Amino acid sequence: MLGIMLQKLWQKKWMNLSLLLGCILFVATAVSFPLYQKTAYDRMLQDEFTKYLREKGRWPMVLWMNATCVNDKKDTIGKLERYSGEICSQLGLPEYRAIRSYYLLKSPVRSEFARDDAEYLTLCLGAMTDLTDHAQMIAGHAYSGDGRAEDGVIEVIVPETTLVKRGLLLDETLTFEKLKTADGKPVRIRISGVFTDGNPEECYFQEDPEQMWDRCFMEPELFASLFTGENATRYSIYASLYNLPDYRAVTADKIGHINEVTAWMCQESPYRSVLEDPNYQTILEGYAVKQLRISQALTILQIPVLVLLVAFLLMISGQMYEMERNEISVIKSRGSYRGQILLLYLYQGLFLSGLGGLIGVPLAIFFARLLSATRDFLEFNPSSSLRVQYTPQTGLYALLAMSVTLCAISVPAIRHSKVSIVSLKQSRAVSKKPLWQKLFLDILLLGIALYGYYTFQKRMRDISETVLSGESLDPLLYVSSSLFIVGAGLLFLRLQPLVVRLIHLCVQRFLGPAGYISFMENTRNGRKMQLIMLFLVMTVSLGMFHATVARTILENALENTDYLDGADAIIYENWPMMQDENGTPTGVYLEPDSVKYLSMDFASSHTRVVYDDRAYIKKSRNARTMLTVMAIHTKEFGGLTDLPAGINEKSYHTYLNELASTEGGLLLSRNFATMQDIKIGDTVDFHTGNDKTLSGTVVDFVDYFPAYRPVTTTINPDGNAVSTDNFLIVMNYSDLRKKLGVQPYENWIALREGTSPDMLYNFIEGNRMTVRKYVNKAQNMEHTLTDPLLQGTNGVLTMGFVVTLLLCAVGYLIYWILSIRERELIFGVLRAWGFHKGEIVRMLLMEQLFSGVFSVLAGIGIGRLSSAMFVPLLQASYATSDQVLPMKLITRASDLYRLYGIVAAVMFVCICTLIFLVFHMNVTKALKLGEE
Amino acid sequence: MEEMILKTTGVKRAFDTPAGKFWALKGIDIAIPRGVFAILKGRSGSGKTTLMNILNSLDDPTEGEVFFEGRSLRDLSERERENLRRKKMGFVFQSVSLLPSLNALQNVEFSMRMAGIRISGENRGRAEECLKLVGLGNRLTHMSAEMSGGEQQRVAIARAFAHRPGIIFADEPTAELDSAMAAHVTELFKEMTRREGVTILMTTHDVGLMGAADMTIELQDGTQI
Repeated sequence: MLGIMLQKLWQKKWMNLSLLLGCILFVATAVSFPLYQKTAYDRMLQDEFTKYLREKGRWPMVLWMNATCVNDKKDTIGKLERYSGEICSQLGLPEYRAIRSYYLLKSPVRSEFARDDAEYLTLCLGAMTDLTDHAQMIAGHAYSGDGRAEDGVIEVIVPETTLVKRGLLLDETLTFEKLKTADGKPVRIRISGVFTDGNPEECYFQEDPEQMWDRCFMEPELFASLFTGENATRYSIYASLYNLPDYRAVTADKIGHINEVTAWMCQESPYRSVLEDPNYQTILEGYAVKQLRISQALTILQIPVLVLLVAFLLMISGQMYEMERNEISVIKSRGSYRGQILLLYLYQGLFLSGLGGLIGVPLAIFFARLLSATRDFLEFNPSSSLRVQYTPQTGLYALLAMSVTLCAISVPAIRHSKVSIVSLKQSRAVSKKPLWQKLFLDILLLGIALYGYYTFQKRMRDISETVLSGESLDPLLYVSSSLFIVGAGLLFLRLQPLVVRLIHLCVQRFLGPAGYISFMENTRNGRKMQLIMLFLVMTVSLGMFHATVARTILENALENTDYLDGADAIIYENWPMMQDENGTPTGVYLEPDSVKYLSMDFASSHTRVVYDDRAYIKKSRNARTMLTVMAIHTKEFGGLTDLPAGINEKSYHTYLNELASTEGGLLLSRNFATMQDIKIGDTVDFHTGNDKTLSGTVVDFVDYFPAYRPVTTTINPDGNAVSTDNFLIVMNYSDLRKKLGVQPYENWIALREGTSPDMLYNFIEGNRMTVRKYVNKAQNMEHTLTDPLLQGTNGVLTMGFVVTLLLCAVGYLIYWILSIRERELIFGVLRAWGFHKGEIVRMLLMEQLFSGVFSVLAGIGIGRLSSAMFVPLLQASYATSDQVLPMKLITRASDLYRLYGIVAAVMFVCICTLIFLVFHMNVTKALKLGEE
Repeated sequence: MEEMILKTTGVKRAFDTPAGKFWALKGIDIAIPRGVFAILKGRSGSGKTTLMNILNSLDDPTEGEVFFEGRSLRDLSERERENLRRKKMGFVFQSVSLLPSLNALQNVEFSMRMAGIRISGENRGRAEECLKLVGLGNRLTHMSAEMSGGEQQRVAIARAFAHRPGIIFADEPTAELDSAMAAHVTELFKEMTRREGVTILMTTHDVGLMGAADMTIELQDGTQI
């Protein structure tokens, strides 16, 4: 049996190679997506952690236990230390750092110097592990190894703030009168050094040293021996223990365990009363919402590709059974059992899917790596690819995928093994309508898809809100587009013969024998071509649809980032307020040096923008409507900002010109004008954030303005998305300055091409600027590009597109080669009758026209239609709370040309192969073949 | 003098085999007059089909010449030979060779289309008439899959003479038919030479059919006996 199977494989090697290709691609695709998802989740998780670190400047995973122990008879500190020692391993994570700090209660000190404030001077004596390794001494020196000076006085170091606020001096010796050592002597300390946070990136200090304004730190071991050790004097001690698990070791699959252990620690563990709520819980919750979205979106996007792969396998195996029907019927007539035939095909299926799995799994790793390196639709950046590893699930997915391929190859044998010579001849005599046509599957699928389309179109806003609130979406939303494409493809198959017949009616008078035959072949035997035609339609339309989805989602996200950032870079420095002699704020701001902005050689231009988001108008005596006031220098502002065309009624620069030409003019956001019923020419009074009154004349209304967010969507405590309108007033900078003098302004900067973020950083650091707001558009764009959801979407769509094209090329070629081989006898007969080779080629070309070209055209039409209908729905499901601009359907011509080019190349190769086969056909051999 | 439609002089055909040249035909000189029913007989492997393919211009002899209606086939280009086969020759093959996408009538009409005859006016009835002649007047619109082997072969015969060729080459047309049907087909050929004046060259190894022939050519191991 095995021998027969191998012989069978060899005899039809091309067909079996195609089947093998299908198996490999199916396994690779099916396995690569979950592999990539795991990698993407890990990356996304790390992104969430680093975002927290960047924005809050705190380590993203902190477990903080603290307790005040009076006399500590119960060894509370010892217990805390033991808990602290095991807490990270319970989470299954390595420890990045553990910081243990202990403080005695604040206690009065007496200085050796005569001081005015001696009466009130209190300090808090404590110790912190590894302090001297992380503190940067800015004056004096760290405490010595044993923690005492030569004269036995305890050395302490203090934060700069303690020194300043308490008015202490370096080397000052102080005595805690109420604190006694074991021998009954008061504790004496000497300030040996002053420190600041040496390296904030190390995240050593869990409390800002700036806030430790009454603390002084001594050597931890000395502290222990004096106050917590066995023979120590017992005082009330406040212990604060921080454990920092290494977040970099957190992977998606560990989250379940981490959540479980955390819940146990907070609710049931013995140290629940001393453990504060861990900060990483909110990070993990945010991650869970995103993870759900990615998994939903990617799963649904990959389904059409997998379906197409199964269709490919079925198509090729269908061809195989079609070709082997004769053999099967002959073998059966000679007395073989049906079981033997089934076994033969089972062996073949096992061989092919097994080999497919062996090659497919390593290929899946490669695919997953490629997915993670996607930068754009159909663009990869290999250097950014992630490490993808096998997981225990890999094997499971591979097995599942292999069983699907096995079924696709071997299960049709059940039906085909029933064939006997008699039933074969009978079945050839009767031409039946395909089952799907009788069941009106095309109409049914289109019906469901259109139902989905209309339902979701009505609830488009709900979709975004559902997504934002982290709920899962109705799968019909995603499936509708695929159902539409398949339904429309089937409808095309139903209509195509009618169209061909119509053309035949019109041109039959002009047809030569070749044209006649191809028309007849197409109308009578067209059914054989249906699968390949459906395949072609789906390839082209899915390709177009995927290209549009990918482009639309990506470009909209980028355009949105571009819009919200406003300019290439924005720097808003800290403006200190001037104080009078008594230290009372005067309300006048001190302008930071503005000359440095003139020396930015990386900038092509810059402008001042007053951006006050605490402005308001009074609704009544006690009620205010908050709004944002932007004061701009119109010419400069217009030179370095822009808006996408068509989002406002007039062009962007028209509004700026209107504003510039009217002294005291105001541009209002339309939602504000509508709410307040304001018309052009009305005067509007409003107040700045520091309660200064301004007024102006309305010159026009805008829907969008650089960096203006008309609506903010937030999630309320019930988990529902809530939208709030934001209002904007834009005025001339000169008007504001005239009325209020210099107000704190932001510097909006247009960068020259090739400016790196480092140049900006260097500029900020070099000028020792204290920055309150910093925007770098290029960095934000990059962040958008590498967002796991967008990247994953691009990756899956690109991969799907490439796989689809590959299948289409192979499938189409195989179909035609087999079709020619099958009809070799007929071609031989025609050639014997005197049919020219050219006529046979012409005949095949016309058949290609009816099947191939028509299908490609139908695919383009269906692709365009489905994109226009379903991409906006899908895009809504990608909504983020940051999405401000109206969604635009974006198709890039180059994507489509690439698609057309590849399809055209496939058809060209196919035609060349056909011509080659026809010209190398041996007529007498073909006739002989018929006799056998 | 009687007109010879087909004539050969010293036709030899060799095939290259691993063991050297194999001579399938070793010098054939035959002359077939117009309007006769000739049978080319011989055992399997005697060279019948090889000779047939040379006579109908599908193959070239290694040596010797073939004259069709007095013109040497050697002088004709590929395109001229194709046109010759389309217009002046008809073919019936051993295996059924109907075009599966056409019905009986369309199959017959197709040979007329190939010969450049427009299916209109008086030609419109020709195909039908041919099918009636072969006894299939009631199965005009049947597809080949809906007919028996004998019926299909009769359609093939009708198709072979519908465009009024000078000669019909029938290569073992009765091999897959039962003896009654074979006799019927042979009768049909005979009938056609009489009614249409067409020449028929049929190969067969069935001795029972020889009686119907006007002339018999017998081959043995590539030589005429």
